[in-house]
Order: sequence, then C-alpha cells, then structure tokens
Amino acid sequence: MSSADWKNYKPVLIPEIKDLHKIDVYEKNGGYEALKQVLTDKKKFDGPKSVIDEVKAANIRGRGGAGFNAGLKWSFMPPADGGPRYLACNGDESEPGTFKDRKIFEYNPHIFIEGALIAAYAMQITSIYVYIRGEYIDYVKMMEKAVQDAYDKGYIGKDILGSGFNVEFHVTYGAGAYICGEETSMLESIEGKRGYPRVKPPFPAQKGLWGRPTTINNIETLSCVPLVIKNGASWFSEIGAKNHPGPILYGISGHVNRPGVYELPSGVPVHDLINEVAGGMRNGKKLKAIIPGGSSTPVLRADQLEGVSMDSDSLREAGSMLGTAGLVVMDEDTDMVDVLWRIAHFYHHESCGQCTPCRDGTGWLEKILLKIKNGDGEVKDLDLLLDITTQMEGRTICALADAAAWPVRHTITRFRDEFEARCKKSVHAMA
Amino acid sequence: MPEVFIDGKRFEYEGEQRLLQFILDNGMEIPFFCYHPSMSAPANCRQCMVKIGQPKKDRETGEFELDENGERKIVWFPKLQTACNTMIADGMVVLTQETDELVERAQKDTLEFILANHPLDCPICDQAGECPLQIQTYKYGPEGSRFEVKKVHKPKRVQLGPRVILDAERCINCTRCVRFTDEISKSHQLTIMQRGDKNYPVTAPGREFDDAYSLNTVDICPVGALTSADFRFKARVWEMNQTPSIDISNGKGCNIDLWTRDNLILRITPRYNEAVNDHWMPDIGREAYKLFNENRVQRPAQKLDDEQINSSWNNAFETLAEKIESTDKKEILFIGSPHASVEENYSLMTLANLLGAKTPVFTTNIIEGYGDGFLLDDDQAPNTNGCRLLGLEEKDAKSLKKEVKSAKLIVLLNDNLIDREVLEAGDLNDKFVAVFATNRTETSKVANILIPVTTAAEHAASYVNVDKRIQRTFPAKETKYTNRRLDIEMSEGRLDRYGTSFDNWVTEDNKVDCIPFWNFVSQLGERLGLKIELRNGREILDEISNKIPAFSGVSYEEMDVQSGISLGGKKETVKS
Repeated sequence: MSSADWKNYKPVLIPEIKDLHKIDVYEKNGGYEALKQVLTDKKKFDGPKSVIDEVKAANIRGRGGAGFNAGLKWSFMPPADGGPRYLACNGDESEPGTFKDRKIFEYNPHIFIEGALIAAYAMQITSIYVYIRGEYIDYVKMMEKAVQDAYDKGYIGKDILGSGFNVEFHVTYGAGAYICGEETSMLESIEGKRGYPRVKPPFPAQKGLWGRPTTINNIETLSCVPLVIKNGASWFSEIGAKNHPGPILYGISGHVNRPGVYELPSGVPVHDLINEVAGGMRNGKKLKAIIPGGSSTPVLRADQLEGVSMDSDSLREAGSMLGTAGLVVMDEDTDMVDVLWRIAHFYHHESCGQCTPCRDGTGWLEKILLKIKNGDGEVKDLDLLLDITTQMEGRTICALADAAAWPVRHTITRFRDEFEARCKKSVHAMA
Repeated sequence: MPEVFIDGKRFEYEGEQRLLQFILDNGMEIPFFCYHPSMSAPANCRQCMVKIGQPKKDRETGEFELDENGERKIVWFPKLQTACNTMIADGMVVLTQETDELVERAQKDTLEFILANHPLDCPICDQAGECPLQIQTYKYGPEGSRFEVKKVHKPKRVQLGPRVILDAERCINCTRCVRFTDEISKSHQLTIMQRGDKNYPVTAPGREFDDAYSLNTVDICPVGALTSADFRFKARVWEMNQTPSIDISNGKGCNIDLWTRDNLILRITPRYNEAVNDHWMPDIGREAYKLFNENRVQRPAQKLDDEQINSSWNNAFETLAEKIESTDKKEILFIGSPHASVEENYSLMTLANLLGAKTPVFTTNIIEGYGDGFLLDDDQAPNTNGCRLLGLEEKDAKSLKKEVKSAKLIVLLNDNLIDREVLEAGDLNDKFVAVFATNRTETSKVANILIPVTTAAEHAASYVNVDKRIQRTFPAKETKYTNRRLDIEMSEGRLDRYGTSFDNWVTEDNKVDCIPFWNFVSQLGERLGLKIELRNGREILDEISNKIPAFSGVSYEEMDVQSGISLGGKKETVKS
C-alpha cells in the first residue's frame, strides 16, 4: 500500500476491535499466532536466526526516534553463552509532542508483548523488561495485568508452547525523568540507579543491564514484529514510504481540530495529515509552522512544507527529522519566542546534569530566552544563543544536549525576524 | 612496540593505558576535572577534549594507506573525544589544545560553561591557590564572561558530616567525591541529588557523612565545594610550607604532607605513594596534627615534693647522669618505644649497651580488630617493626611489669604506657623514672625527671611500618634550637626565602623548647665519659645500616629516591 493511498488503509497496530486489550479477544483475532509460528513451525522458521533475518528484511526502522533497522540491531547481540541476556523495551516516551506508545499500552498491549517475546526468542534472551514512564501509572497497571494474563496462558514463563523456550517478563517504571528515555540511562534506572547516561562504548549489546548483553527497542517497534512474522517481510516493507516502511502511529497535537494518535502508513504528506486526518486548522487559522517529530526535531515553516511527507528522506531534505512522528502544529497566532522558551525550559528542567555543556548550557539558553520573551533581550543575545548551541552540540555523553540545541538553532535561524523584532522593542533610542 | 602520535611527536607505549594519563605521564598537559588516576573515568566534565584519529589500513594487505605525500591517511573521529576514557591504540593520532584550534576552542567553551554557575568567590574560598578550576581557567579559560543572567543558587555551608562541609554552589559536579565513597572507601555515603544545573552531592536524608576516610573527598574536590570543617578559614595555601612526612598515628605509615605556618602544623594531607597509601589517608591521621602543636612538654622538669618543677637543661643532664652513675647497671631498665623512630630507639640501645645495662625492652600497641583492611591497621604505633628489627626485646604487659618491679632506675622513651594501660602509676612508686616525652600525658606525670624531645614534625627520622617498609620524615617546624637555614633536612618555603621580620612566621611562642633524643643521649654520654657520637638522623641511620644486617643498604638518600624501602616484608598495594 502506497502512502498516497492512505485513505484506504486499515489499522493493524491498534485496529478497531472492541476489548482487544483482553487476551481472549486478542487470541480470537489471531493473537499469539506469530509467536506460535516462530516457536513451533519449523518449516517456516528454522531457529532464531531465521527470525532475525525476516525482521531485518522487513526493515522496521526504530520508532523511538533514531530510526535504526531493528533486525540489524538484533544481530549485534553476541552469541549466547548461557548467562542472562536482556531485552529492555523503552516505553518512557516523554518528549513533548510524543504520545503514541500509550495507545498500544491501552488498546493493544498483547501485540507488544507478543513482539517482545518473538524478539526474545530471536536473540535468545532470558528476561524482558518493559520500562514505562512514571506518569503513565494507569498504563503500568494495564501492562501488569496484560503480562499476568500472558503468564497465565503460558505465553511467558517456562517451556513456552512446549518449545523449551523460557523467558521472564518484568514491568518497571520511571520516576518522572525524561533522561531515563535515553537508552543507557534507562538501563541505569532499571538497575535502580540514578538515571545518568552511560559512556559508549561499551554498547548495550556488549554490556547492558547488569553488565550483560542487552537490546533496547521502542514499544511501537516491537509491536510491528508480530505483523512481520504473520504477513511476511515483503508485505511490511511495501507499506508506505520505501526506506522507512510500515504502519506509523502519528501523534498530532496543537492547533488542529482533531488532535490525536492516528495509525497510517509511513510517508503521508504533511498537509494531508493536518488538513484531512486531523480535521484542518482550528478556527480556520493559517498554518505557521510544524515540529514534525517531537520537540527536539527542528521546526519547519509553513513555506518549507510544500510536497513534504512524513518519511525520513523527505523531512531531511526539508531540513528536519522524522523523530517519533509526533507532529506539533502551530497556527499563525503562535508566538515563536514563547514556543522556543517553553522547549528550552523543558530541556533545562530535564538535563541530568552529568556533562558540563548540557548542565550549564541548557540553563543558560533558557535564561536568555526568558529575557528575550520578557522584552529585555538584545540582538546580540541571538548570536550568543547560536554560539552556545555550537558549544553544546556533539560534546556530551548522550544526545540530550543536541536535542536541546537543535530547536534553538533552527527556530532562531528560521524565525530570525520575529526574534529580532522582540529584541528591538527593548532597545531604547539614543537621544 | 605499539606507537601513538601526540601533537606530531611519536611515543611508544606498553599495555593498556588511558590516553589522558599517558599524556600526563609524558610531561604534557591537558586540562581535566573529573578524572582521577585511582578511580573510574566517567568523562562527565568534558574538559579533556582532544581530536583523535586512526590511520587507515588497506583491508586486503593490512598496510597503512598513504596519501600523495607519503603520509599515513588518518580517519578522524567525527566528534572530539574525551582523553580520560579513551584507551590508546596502535597508530592513534592525537591533537591537543597545543596543535588544534578546535580542541582549544572546545576546552575554552567547557570552562565557560563550568564558570557560568560557579560563584567565583575565590577571595574567600579555601581552595584558592590550589584550585584546579582556578589554575586551569587562567591557563585555558575564556578571558571574560558572557553570562549576564542570574546564576543558580544552591545550599551553602551544609555540614555533610562531622568533618566535611559542602558549598553546593561551588560544586562542578565532577562526582569525584561520590566515586570515592563508591570505589575507594566503599561506604557509599554520597550521591548526587537533584537534576541538571541544580544538582550537588549529599548523603541520604538523616544520614551523616562520617566515613572514616571522608576528608579525602576534600583533597580530591577540584573546587572549594567540599572543605574541611577543621581547617576551613585557618590559612591561605600560599602562607604555608609543605613538608613530606609519615603518619605516626597508625602502623600503616601513610605518606603525608605537613602544612606549616609560623611553626604550627595546620593540616595534614596524604602524599601519593603507590606502595603504601596511594592518594589516600584516614581522617584520624589528619587529626594527629594537634599533637605537634598542643600540650607539648617544654623545658626539662624534675619532681620535687611530688611536683614537677621546671629545671635547666644543664641540671637535667647532671641529675640524670648522677642517677645513672649511682645505680647498679643491672637495675637500670631502658624502655624503648614503638611510637619513637628507629634512630631514637637505636640511640637508647647504644646508651644501654655502652653502660653495660640490659637490652632495652618495648611493648607493642596493637588493638585487635581496630584495622579495616584498608589504611587503618590494628597496630597503633608507627615503628613496631623498627623496634623488632633493631633487636629490642618485645615484652607483653605482664612481663614488662615484672621487669619494672626489679628495676630501680627506669628510662622511658616516649611511650604513654600508663595512658594505654600497660603499666599503672603504682608500678612506678619507689623507682626513679626518667621520661623522654613529646606531649604531656598521664605517663609524663609520674616522671621524676621529664625531658622534652622532638616530634616527627621536628626531626628527620625513620619508621618501619606494619609491612616492614622503612620511610622517613623531614623537620617541618623549628624548635627553640633549630636554625632553618642550617638544617639541611628542612624544606624551604616561600617565607623562608623571602620572609622578613614583618612576616608572621617568626613567633617565638610556637617554637617548642625541646631537643632530639639522640642529641640528649650524646651529651649525656659525654658527661658520663662514654664514646657516643649521634649527631643527626641521617648519620645515625648510616651507622645502623652498617651495624645491623636487617637495615643494610638503607639510607636517607635511597629512601628519598624510592619513597621508602621494603625491609623484606610483604609488599602491599592499596589498589582497590
């Protein structure tokens, strides 16, 4: 199915089936079939490696923002040595503009559990952890229930479906820190430590949870796995955009009539998403700008959006990134200085404080932006802001400093007039 | 041998090495804060940024690919790397701030960030003068500040524990203190609290930072965030002299520095010695500085009608000499001391031998279970093994009492036998007791004649620790009879070189009226007509090494070169 044909698309990740979150309903609708195939159908899947090959061929690109081929990531795991190996599922989504995984927790938790179990089998993993952000306490409870149901039905535990494959499944949750969504600090948090990102190398595949081989995948990524197993890699890779295929949960927020999470093929044109899927601009206002994939992705002006669609190539050409496909739509009344200050405030608040450039840089950015917002800014402050972003980028352990610097850099360069106008107001005329 | 190129210079190396340490070891410099050679490298201060590349190799032939000039093609890392956690690899090419503008800029940028929220209160900060942040800002930092917004405010004057005080605003979050309690002292008492620019180290709520090694965090803090509750505001660093010495409060013999101003020891800090204490020392050893300043025995004293009355040195010599002459040598008991140096015990032994008296005895001061397996040992005395190797007779409390009973004259070298309950004051009734002491104690009270002697801070002398390692001290402060300029062992500080009578370094009050024990013995020998020539620690040790096989080859020169010599005991390292 091509991206242009999105109107005929039927959701597969969160299909419209009543009570799908209940395990009986999920089973009735073909649930855990993929797991059965993987574990018992020796004709179709001859061992874990064949599963990895299938997933690799489907080209599921990580839905957590970085867009790395999931199957390829799985193949980085060292050979099993009898010791514990872990799968850590990242459900800590906390970037402003991103709110898609919660839909899976709420409406289709078992597709994720099934995907995680298949991944565990493919990588010979002994324990699965799902890490859910602390604010999602309701979803944590739902997941706990779903995992218990799957245990009761024998999909998790010892000798699953008589195949001899054993795995444990733990639901854990955070305490409200954005940084714990960064994969290595999530591992620290799961271990019960302070969520400081780890220095890489060693990479988690070599030394992850408790120093053992670990793979980290996003919830939505793992939820795609059963679909690939059931329908085949080629079925999956033909959905949507060629180089970033598959269904995507678009989280649309901001000044639109129907904000929400929509499951559609990848690569839907941005204008279609805003005007048709989300019901058009609120109050008939004009579009001013969008943030395409969560607050760290660079903002795009309305005039940069002609012909742009939600796939990684198209967005890169336009000067941004797909990120988590969390689209923030802003109308003509939006104050970009305000928007940028709010984003900078978020990153200042969430910097873990481990690395110097991020710890002191994020605060500095926010304080200058607050000054500009309050009308006390000077034009030279804008250049200082740009300078600070260069001083932060690429100089830290994790990417939070980059995520904090990019919006500042791009919003100022793309809306410079608006920022300068706000600054000039404050300059008193020389007598 | 594998090679690495740093700023265009070629170096050979062996084994696994961290790049930053390798650069420092080879006499070059890179600014850093969070890195410490004895702990893990978290790479969080981001100060030691360098540019790193590896030569490109042809996959088929394994040969280096060359460019048109015949130079190796280098593949550079896309980002700058921190030197502290980079392991050097064969052929690696490194550019530091000396040769690369981007590196220089990156280091300056990081310092600008560090200084953004730092209070810059150097004029009232204890760390000023020995502050890595201050020093490196002068060398590598930006000239001005572009930070014109409000700084973050955090708690100040937080009493983290009985000995350590935190100023969270000065903290640059290097986590050295936290890693120290995790990796070295293993008390796990500190952690970083809060997030981002608000974070700082604290203990768990309701807990104290009472780690037995807590003051080491003050030493390794690269700013003035952690300060010593005791030393705070007492002296500027540049007012003090720093003299190498040995911790005499425990048998471990940690290597230390004594910090002196105006002939008072103001603080003790550990001195690096990989074979003994690495970079660390226990808090209790630092508190020992008070022994050098307070409660000292000054001028000889003699007991008249149960009261000790000050006397002159001449009178003291005369009285003791007469007492020795009039006593049957079999009834003189010389008691040596594990708390006194090798040289002092040897002097005592020499005197006893020449007089034809029995070999001096000594009693160990070992508290079972006191040690912690790290830098605190059961042995409370710095020189127990020294006494043993010299050949003093080791007596337990019971047999010492027996010896005391049968003696008439007791010569006791600096050991608080009554305070540590080896003897009771009653055991010494009806005896004539000569006590050589540094400090006033219950033991010094019973002396019929009390002679003040120099402490480890006032003489050069050696001590043999629990691992049989002989190490020595240097005089750090003057006595009434020292001349700084004539004593070659004495280190010379700024104030010695340039000091004038207007300096506050010349107070007579702080000089103690005492002499080295061997000087007393020499003069006493002269009076008694014995041939004793014991002039200073250096010569005495030379004599010991000629006479006693256990000490052969040992000299001050050799000890200074090797920072102590192992006398055949097991060699222990503290690497944890």
